[in-house]
Amino acid sequence: MQQLSSLIIPLLILFIISYGLLKNVSVYEEFIEGAKDGFGIAVNIIPYLVTMLFAIAIFRASGALDLVLILFSPLANFLGFPAEVIPMGIIRPLTGSGSVGVLAELINTHGEDSIIVKIAAVMFGSTETTLYVLAIYFGAVKIKNTAYAVQAGLMADFAGFVAAILVTVWYFS
Amino acid sequence: MLNKIWAGLIILGIVFALGQDINDEIHNTHQNGVAQIFDYSTITPTDSSITLIVNQHKLNAVIKNPQRIQIQLDEKSPQYLKTLATLNGNDFLLNAIIVSKASHQLKILLPELHWQKLRAITQAAFDMAEFAVKLAIGLIGIMALWLGLMQIAEKSGLIKYMVKAVQPLLCWLFPNIPKDHPAFGSISLNMAANILGLGNAATPLGIKAMQQLQELNSNKNKASDEMCMFLALNTSSVQLLPPVTLIALMGTQVSELIIPIILATSCSTITAVMVAKFYARRSQPSQGV
Repeated sequence: MQQLSSLIIPLLILFIISYGLLKNVSVYEEFIEGAKDGFGIAVNIIPYLVTMLFAIAIFRASGALDLVLILFSPLANFLGFPAEVIPMGIIRPLTGSGSVGVLAELINTHGEDSIIVKIAAVMFGSTETTLYVLAIYFGAVKIKNTAYAVQAGLMADFAGFVAAILVTVWYFS
Repeated sequence: MLNKIWAGLIILGIVFALGQDINDEIHNTHQNGVAQIFDYSTITPTDSSITLIVNQHKLNAVIKNPQRIQIQLDEKSPQYLKTLATLNGNDFLLNAIIVSKASHQLKILLPELHWQKLRAITQAAFDMAEFAVKLAIGLIGIMALWLGLMQIAEKSGLIKYMVKAVQPLLCWLFPNIPKDHPAFGSISLNMAANILGLGNAATPLGIKAMQQLQELNSNKNKASDEMCMFLALNTSSVQLLPPVTLIALMGTQVSELIIPIILATSCSTITAVMVAKFYARRSQPSQGV
């Protein structure tokens, strides 16, 4: 499977370009025509990304995540899952690099074989950085009113979070 | 909703940092104004350069005059000293006041440290604002590459064939996209890239899809149902292969996590679709008015 993903991009590029040649498309000119938009889109994204990322940076640097851990520990104990995975569930939708940091720290303290790390890794693998994706995708089309996209994204994250705990605990027991 | 989350992150962050700093001030956690005693050794008695021992770390220091000492730090030095040095303008040089000097012990007064958390979040906010721009600039190249390829695929009719093939699958999720519209093509390519764990291909293709959805959008300032559905699908990450970062962190351990990941990601994707559908149905009547 791993090899598949390293093969697929070169093969796809080869296929698109040779198919274009076959259909008499002036591939060089059309490529430039398409590529022209790249700059404009990236520039459009900048204000959206700055707005989102600086808020997340403040939250992360304040250490408020530790507070969250303390607040939710009793609930986790009551429901019978390790409280250590909660920061992962909260940071995952916010920042990619932040969640990598949390996971690396958990691996450091608990070891790769611990159920805590396994749950956190499944959480990491099963959802995306919702707010970052939101900023980029809506930034590219300059939409500020995101309707119910956040709700849908965060509900999905929450479902993934709960599922990661249940599935991992069940799978490794 | 987004307004509240965004403001919540900032307010919670600042209030929490302020609370911690006030707590630090009350209990004088940083030992401001308290002279500390450290062991030291010299190479020759007359030498002004000494080795200072702080928490078992050996640090080179130079006695500038009877009242001043300059401590040299490196990457491995204790964190609180590095923080102090950075806050006082030089990352690896820390100036302190010598209170008294015995043959093997030095009593010194380190610079004071106030409002550390608040300073940290200010720095983080500025750093991140700068990083966001770098991130966007970094996207230019990869965006241009995929948009160029997409353009060829569109002109050669490749996208049209793809749209025909995936349309039946996608038209339940995106009922308002007209038949044979190229948006189906970008959406399915984006999803294919997501499924295969090709993050840096998925983003440009997803942005292309968003642009096409924006063309169909009747209110250009507000996200359409299609956009919300598409975003929900992307944030819940439909994927069969674990992301590369996870492989890098966990090594071969990842292979036994693949099945749990697929199960959990299915749950989040199904939820994403259901929530998006629910909201779309609810907003339908108001759209008609």
